[in-house]
Order: sequence, then C-alpha cells, then structure tokens
Amino acid sequence: MNNDIPVLALGPQGEVMAHAVDACVHCGFCLPACPTYALLGDEMDSPRGRIVLMKEVLEGQLDLQDAAPHLDRCLGCQGCVSACPSGVPYGELITAFRGWSEPQRRRSPLDRAKRYAILRALPAPKLFSVAARVGQYAKPLAPALPAALKAPLDLLPEHVPAMQPSPPVTPARGQRRGRVAFLAGCAQQALAPNFNAATLRVLSRNGIEVVLPEGQGCCGAAALHTGARDEALKLVRANLQAFDPDEYDAIISNAAGCGAGLKEYPVVLHGLPDEEQAKKFAAKVRDISEYLNELLLGGELQPFMPARKPLNVAYHDACHLAHAQKVKAAPRALLKAIPGVRLVEIPEGDLCCGSAGTYNLEQPELAAQLGQRKAGNILGTQPDLIASGNIGCHTQIQSHVRRQGSQVPVMHTIEVLDLAYRGEL
Amino acid sequence: MAGKKMTPEKMASEKTAVEKQGLTTNSRARKPRSEGTPDNPLAAELTRQLGSKKVLHQLSERLNYRYDAIQFGVTPLCVVLPESTADVVAAVKVARAAGIPIVGRGAASGLSGGVTPLQESLVISFTRMTRLEVFPERREAVAQPGVVTLKVTEAARPHGLFYPPDPASFRTSTIGGNLGENAGGPMCFKYGVTGDYVKALEFVDEGGDVHRVTREAFDLAGLLIGSEGTLGLMTEATLRLIPPPKFTRTLMAHFAEVGQAAEAVSAAIAAGAVPAKLEFMDRACTNAIEDYLHLGLPREAEAVVLVDTDGNDLRTVDAELELVAQACQGAGGVVKLAADPAEADALWQARRSISPALGRIRPQRMNEDIVVPRSALPQVVREIRALGDASGLHLVQFGHIGDGNLHPNIMFDPRIEDEGAVHDLAHKIALVAIRHGGVLSGEHGIGTMKRDFMTDAVDPVTLQALWNVKKALDPAGRLNPGKILPEQPGGPHAHP
Repeated sequence: MNNDIPVLALGPQGEVMAHAVDACVHCGFCLPACPTYALLGDEMDSPRGRIVLMKEVLEGQLDLQDAAPHLDRCLGCQGCVSACPSGVPYGELITAFRGWSEPQRRRSPLDRAKRYAILRALPAPKLFSVAARVGQYAKPLAPALPAALKAPLDLLPEHVPAMQPSPPVTPARGQRRGRVAFLAGCAQQALAPNFNAATLRVLSRNGIEVVLPEGQGCCGAAALHTGARDEALKLVRANLQAFDPDEYDAIISNAAGCGAGLKEYPVVLHGLPDEEQAKKFAAKVRDISEYLNELLLGGELQPFMPARKPLNVAYHDACHLAHAQKVKAAPRALLKAIPGVRLVEIPEGDLCCGSAGTYNLEQPELAAQLGQRKAGNILGTQPDLIASGNIGCHTQIQSHVRRQGSQVPVMHTIEVLDLAYRGEL
Repeated sequence: MAGKKMTPEKMASEKTAVEKQGLTTNSRARKPRSEGTPDNPLAAELTRQLGSKKVLHQLSERLNYRYDAIQFGVTPLCVVLPESTADVVAAVKVARAAGIPIVGRGAASGLSGGVTPLQESLVISFTRMTRLEVFPERREAVAQPGVVTLKVTEAARPHGLFYPPDPASFRTSTIGGNLGENAGGPMCFKYGVTGDYVKALEFVDEGGDVHRVTREAFDLAGLLIGSEGTLGLMTEATLRLIPPPKFTRTLMAHFAEVGQAAEAVSAAIAAGAVPAKLEFMDRACTNAIEDYLHLGLPREAEAVVLVDTDGNDLRTVDAELELVAQACQGAGGVVKLAADPAEADALWQARRSISPALGRIRPQRMNEDIVVPRSALPQVVREIRALGDASGLHLVQFGHIGDGNLHPNIMFDPRIEDEGAVHDLAHKIALVAIRHGGVLSGEHGIGTMKRDFMTDAVDPVTLQALWNVKKALDPAGRLNPGKILPEQPGGPHAHP
C-alpha cells in the first residue's frame, strides 16, 4: 500500500511500521480470519481496515483518538498473519503502533489506574498471587460490580492454588542429553503452578537438565502489546542479561504468549545496539511442544504409557502458538504419540478464544462473545479432555466451558504428556 | 396475531444452524455505533431513518470504505450497513433526494476498482445482509448479497449439493460482489460462472423500487449480473445448486517455457478432455506462492499447469486425467500426480493465493482479465511475455487458461516505476487480446482499470447501445458513476 509515513521522524520502529503498511495489498483475505470482523462486520474492525487507520494516523491524516476504538478492539491474535498471502507482518505493526501511540493517548483516570494495576501485577508472580487470592474472596460480589472489575473476577478459578516455586536447577534423570534454560512465566505461576512442575518433570524424564536463570522476569509481551514500550524494554533487557544463549541448547517457554514475546525481541530492539544479541537469543527460543517434538522426531523421546481408556482430546490452538509462532504440528504430534489418544479438530479452530493477553480485561464484552463461541465449538466435538498451550486460553476456555455446564477437564498440553508418563491419563 | 411457528426466537434458531457453518458477520454482538452528531445532512437524515447502528459517518469509519483490492478512491460522505431490503430502499431514496451517487459494496476483494467511489458518495456495504437458506428439494439456495461465497457450499454440503462458482477469494468475497462482477473461478471451465447459477434476483432500482426478476422474458437478471452496481442494487439471489462429482483427480505439470503450457492446454482440450479446473501460473507466481506456503513447487519452471478432472465414474475421471498428462508430456512438460486429497488441496490453496501473494514483488499492480480463443493461447501468452520482457517492468501471468481467461499483472512501485509506462503496457496487452478476437474482462469486471480500453474493444454503435441501457435503468447516472463505460466526448451523457 502506498504511504507517506514519515519514517525518518519515527525512527527504527517507524521502519517496522512502514514496511508492514507497504506490504499490504488490501486484498481482504484477512477478513474471514479476524474475530472482530466476524462479530462486528465492518471494515474498521478488520485487519485491512486497521492497517489503513494506522497508516492515516501515522501520516497525520486522522486523529489518533478517532482511530483508537477500532485499534483497541484488535485482539492481536494474528489470525490474519496466517491468512495473509502477501506476508504483512501485522503483529509487528500493531505492537509498534501501540508503543508509539500510547504516550499520546488521552485516557480516563479509571482506565489509567486499571492499566497500571494490570501492568504491575502481571509480571510479579507474588503480587499477582496475592491479588488473585483477594479476588477469590471478592468473587461472590462480582454481579454487583462494574464491568471493569467484574471481568477479572469472572476469570479467576474457584480455587487459587498455592504457589510452588520451581527449583533453580532440575537435574536430568538418567543420562544427561541436553541442558535448557526455562522461563518460568508470571501470572501462570500463580494460577496454574502445575504447568511448570509438569514441564520440569517431563524434560527431566527425557534426560534434559533444566536451569531457571537468576534475574529472569516477565517476558514483557503484556507491556509491549498494550503499548507500554519503556516498561517492556526494561523487562526485555533484564532477560537478555539473565539468559546467555551460548550456555543452553534451547530457551524454553511453556506459555504461548511468552514464547511469542521472546521470539519478538529482535523486532522490539530493531535499530538499537542490542539487536544482535536479541537475534542470538531469539534463535534459541522454543515452545515446550516444539522442543519435545524435536526429540520425538529424532526418536529420542521416552515413550508414553497408554491412556487408561480411549480418549478424545480436543486440541485448541493458542493464537500466539499457531499464528505468532507457527507451531501447529508439534503439539498435535506429541498428543497423538500417546497410545489411546484420538485427536479431534475444533470447528473454527483458527478463531481466537477471546483471551488474548489483557483483552478480556479491556474489552470484556467482545472477549465473552468469543469465549462463548469457542466453548460451544469445543464442546460440539464431545471431547473427554481439552488441551492447549497457553495460560490465557486455558483460563478463558475453562471459564466458558464451565459456564456452559460441562465439567470436562481443561489441561496444558504438557500436563497431558506428564500424566501419560505417569500412567495416570 | 403472530402464528407460533414464526416466532422471532424460532427464526433465530434456524438461522444459527447456518451460522455455525463458519464465520459470519451476522452476529448478535452489539455493533459499534457512530458517536456524536453527523456532520453532513445526508448522514443526519440516514441516521434519523435507519438509526445509528446502521450508519457510519465519522471519518475513521468512512475512510475504510473507499478501496477495493486494487485501488483507493474518494472517501464516501456516509456509509450504510443495511440489514434488510427495506433498509436499502430507504438509503437509496435518501441519497436520491440529496442528489448523491450510490456505490454498492461487498467484501471489496474486487480487482478492477469496481467499488471505489470516484466522487463523494453514499456507500452501501452489504456485509451484514447475510441471510442464507438452502432448499434441497428444489436444489436452490436463497442468499442475501452479504453471504460469503464459500458459505453457500458449506450450507449445501450436508444436503449432498454444492455451489460451483469459486473465485479465488471465495473465503472472503460475497455473493453480491460475485453477482456484480459475474465472478468465475477455477471451476468455471467445466461448470460455468456466477451468472450460470442465478435463477432469480431481487434488486432495488435507482428510484428505490424493489423488483423481482427471473431469467424469463427479457433477461433483466442477466443484464444486472456483471453490471458492477451501475444498473441496480441486488438484494437477494436464488442460486442453483448441483450434486458434487463423486471423484476428483489432480495433476500438476511444469514447463520450461510459457508457450509450451498453453500448447499442452490446447492439445488436451482438442483431445476431448473436459477438466473441472485448468489453471496456469508463470514462474514469478510460483515463486511468490512458494515464499508464502513453502510447498516445494518447481521454482525453476517457467510455467506450471494445475488440472482437476472429476465425475461419477472413476475410470472416466482417470482416463481424462491421462489424456491431459499425455498432452502435457507431448508439449515438453513434466507431470506429477497429487498423491492424496491433502496434496491436491495444498496445490489449490497455492493457486488461490497467487493474486495477493504477488504483493511480495511490488506493492501495486495493474490487473488484466483478458479472455482469448483457446486456439490463440500459445501465441497470446508468448506475445504478452515478450511485451513484458521488452518493457523492463515486472509482468506476471496466470489464470483460468482452460477458458482462455488470462490475468497478466503488471507489478509496480509508483516510487520507482513510471505509472505512464505501466498504463502503456497494460494497453498493449489489451490490444493483443482484442487483436486475437478476445475481450477485456472474463470475471473481474471493467471497473475503472479497463474503462479506457473499452473504446478499443467495443465499436461505437454497440457502446451507444450500452449507454442506452444505462440511461434506461439509471437516467440520472447515480449508480456507481464512472465505471465500465467511457465518457462519450461531447455526447449527451458525457456528464450525467
């Protein structure tokens, strides 16, 4: 698309944005892949429309405040990126745009307070855990609260589990075949500590030593995707300090959103002195399913015990795994490697569940519509178990599946593999 | 006294059955509303009559209704998102009273500038008119214009039926847009184009009156199909469905030279093969696709041909595929059969993605849609290739070669390449088609892109007849002005 984006004035992130706008041929192939277009049916709430809006704002043809409502409705799911034959890096565009525009946004005090709270609590597991516990007691009050406070409470599980800090080093069981660094994640530690425990057990069982490098923190994705670029840069650089890519075979994440965030570091630092370091780092990052699938393909993965009875497993593609990281085959291959597991595909599988980072806190109505639709699509396959690779999707799907009256278990892929190893699936 | 069988709840639940087929914009989600007071009288009156949910008047909302997949036009004064024929009638009447032109719009995936407003207009976007009903006993579907094309087949499939017109954009494009452009697709070689599947149409004329026409008497429906919204606004279509063939086989052949591919096609058809699909793409296309899908297409080949044969008798289907394979080998091609349906699907996804994937070469393009007699194909593709090579511009070719429908595309970057030279080359290509007894458009319409070439393709007397039709149905020239028909210098309708 032709544009007059003042690249020089905007700096390195301006280059990122102008490149994405250039690449778009406004063909509309992205429309059916966009969840908000599916719900709202208008061009401004489609990827193609948003690209034009961002272009117009960057060119100074349109006031940011007028474009903002449509840009805020974007989930950042990147379903459009998978659907785009022209190769438009939409994810990079919207992230860079949010970073550029946030300082110019006019927000209400309540809005600002909410954003501040989210961005403080998410990257701090202990603080998040305390907040979650408080929220758990406030849950019965939810119906009486305004939407802004109701949404986060709705998402909290009935019981917030106790924190289970992971050991700094988990030795390999048997002969040591590899050594990886592990990003422990933030909110996930508080809401689902078993994800990490299962990850450590499965890696260790496969002869992999797992290190949690000291000084690591939040991946920065939540801050970055909500436009808090300075905040994000601090977190990114802390991680680059903590993880030395030369020391490990891989840097592992078990949260799709965080993994995508880590792989994005070179774009975040584009044009800055630490860009090269970020590239080296990102080249080592693997989702847990990717890493285990590499072992499976090499014939090096320990075999699973068969499921106790035949199981229909519905695998939900987390957007940040399927679209942002292009990891679709690996988790499926791993689940299928468990004897007795039958994998079922979910209708509209490419459509976001509505969780999308902080989206269900910021756009609760649309998030709920999508959650409901996703739960309906999943339950239609009559699964015995639902698996996915992201804490956000996990919480969202569990909450909506329960709301539709189903008690079917919802698990992280790694939990399913862990159970299979223990003969408890 | 509403009968119980017709409660809104029941109607809604019936609708859900169709909605579950896939994505639809016919959701009950709260639609965003335009905030504030409309700043022009047209938008104010439309908002008064239709309510704020159906009318977009803010700049941030209108900006996005000025383009299709090829061109940007003028930002409309107002956009209406009708939910019923009655809404369309109201909008047309308001625009008429205000003397404002009307541009109808589907998903805007068109490739000829057909839905880009050329002056301040009212855009009527049909994406929320998505009612779709299937009547298996009559082998019919009744669709509103906003129904996404692929949805018709998805809704028909459980009844053992399908809807053959399959433009490359069928996941995005709408029935309304397909009708407006008389869209084709790979299937059209054997099964025909959109117009061949329309049994009846409902349309709103420029005065706001609603008409229902079939194909009897004067084929008024036929006149509206492919008229690009210049004669009326189609609000409902009754579409013909057919049972799908039981068996399909797919092959790909690649060639060291583009003309060889065209020779293979001519030879296969002369030998009596009637493939379901017969498509062609040149080297630039396969490479753009390969960059997107990584399928292992032959990057070095100058041309690739993709073929499906189908039918209810497997032996015939195989025999027909063999005929095509022999013709390809005879012309010097290398043939590969698709091992399974998944491999075939991947090849067809590749074909469908060509058009947008070309954006990887240059951000902008001039898209041609010529149709030539099949006997002339080898000569035509070679002449076009030579013109491209001589021009120094990026010229690529692909298309529904079985029908003689070719899409030469000139890829360019206006910051680097001279737009005059691009237009010049496009004109030369159009003249090649005309010289070989061909036409300017097979399925994408004339729009604004090929309007200038109409005087080369159509003689003055016939052009006058077209103007007379336009004048009869749209006397004030208010429906999608500036499309298809070139201005008549000094003529009575030069400034309608």
